[in-house]
Amino acid sequence: MLMEDNPGELWVDQGKDLFHAKRGPKNVSLEQCDFGLGTGKLDGAAARLPRYFSDTDRVEDLESRLLTCMTRLQGFDRDQLISSAISAPASKGSDIEALALYITSRSNGMKVNVSLDHQKEREMYKAGEYLFYRRSGQTDFGCVQCHGEAGKRIRLQDLIHMTSKAGAQEVASSWPAYRGSHYVVRTMQWRLNDCVWQMRLPDLKYATDYSIALTTFLNRQGNDALIQVPGFKR
Amino acid sequence: MNNMLKSLLGGIVAALIAGCATYPDDVTTRQAAEQMVLDAFAAAPEHLKRLQQDRSQQICSKVGQQQLTGEEAAEVVKLARAAIKYPVSGNIVGDWKTGDALAHDGAGDRIRDGKIEDRKENGGLCQNCHALAPGEINVGNVGPALTGYGKQRGNSEAVAKYTYEKIYNAWIYFPCSNMPRLGATGHLTPEQVAHMVAYLLDPQSPINK
Repeated sequence: MLMEDNPGELWVDQGKDLFHAKRGPKNVSLEQCDFGLGTGKLDGAAARLPRYFSDTDRVEDLESRLLTCMTRLQGFDRDQLISSAISAPASKGSDIEALALYITSRSNGMKVNVSLDHQKEREMYKAGEYLFYRRSGQTDFGCVQCHGEAGKRIRLQDLIHMTSKAGAQEVASSWPAYRGSHYVVRTMQWRLNDCVWQMRLPDLKYATDYSIALTTFLNRQGNDALIQVPGFKR
Repeated sequence: MNNMLKSLLGGIVAALIAGCATYPDDVTTRQAAEQMVLDAFAAAPEHLKRLQQDRSQQICSKVGQQQLTGEEAAEVVKLARAAIKYPVSGNIVGDWKTGDALAHDGAGDRIRDGKIEDRKENGGLCQNCHALAPGEINVGNVGPALTGYGKQRGNSEAVAKYTYEKIYNAWIYFPCSNMPRLGATGHLTPEQVAHMVAYLLDPQSPINK
């Protein structure tokens, strides 16, 4: 296990401080944010994301839920949050990256448990499944072209076999992760952005339903995996 | 008895609540997901075009990789045949050294912050997925190894034509295979494809050593 030596641990404490600090134009902490289990209840909350939230009437993943609370509760500007959400390599990282890691770490050792009880969760799941197989662009790629078989690599990079239970579980339980070649913590949204870039598609916007749908599909397939973050990626 | 009745009723209530949520049908899912694609990308119109599926891509996007029907496979092959182009010179076997460089070039055509990466031409992408010359380590295995390709098949006109068409549009021979239709989607020019044919077939090429 790389966990003990994982430099991503540094961001956990940073995220904890950010979570409890009074911040933003409204000068309040995120303690009043409901991540699905009630205000301020973090233990096990990330394990159940994405999920439906009645206050927004939407299915949200961790990053979109953070945006919701940071804008509604703390008064931050959404566009500004998004423009700094994905940090530069070898930087201090972004607030959202640290917060996402801290909140997910509060589910460490717990099982991924995405339920599809709400109608909108089912719609999101089915859309994510559709998008996983949707081919387009110069390379004719959907997700499944690289992630549909076991033991495959692009050059020397191992590809996760996401249509297997074990592969989906790896996805669902290891983000946010410290990325060794970037020297920062990366989130699931970053992972999707980078895939889309390699697929030769245009720039993926932050926290849209496209990402939430794919994350709902993959995390649901990954149910029962034990969460252990920060993950460690090449 | 009372307890049994209670748990029975509880079970029925739970089943009813769960029954409220249903999976949408395929047409509804498709509409919702296509709308998500429209909403998810920031780009100029000429780049957004990449998200629109052509008919073949639609056929080749089956959920769960279900098998194609005979009719669907025939349509993909027909579309692929109809769209094939050859170099203006008519020569489908180019220069193997140029092809060698192209085969090992995995870049080109990617978009970041609204701009396509600044390059003279796109790479051939082969190395990303295929083993090439013997001894090369940094190669993928999503596609079959091409090591010894020409040595095994010879370099007859028929082999050259097949190889050209396979690279230009793999779906002529393998409808909906994972391999990109490198020429047909515009990623490579017919001339570039011809150079890669030479790289695969020329006895002097490292791939056949």
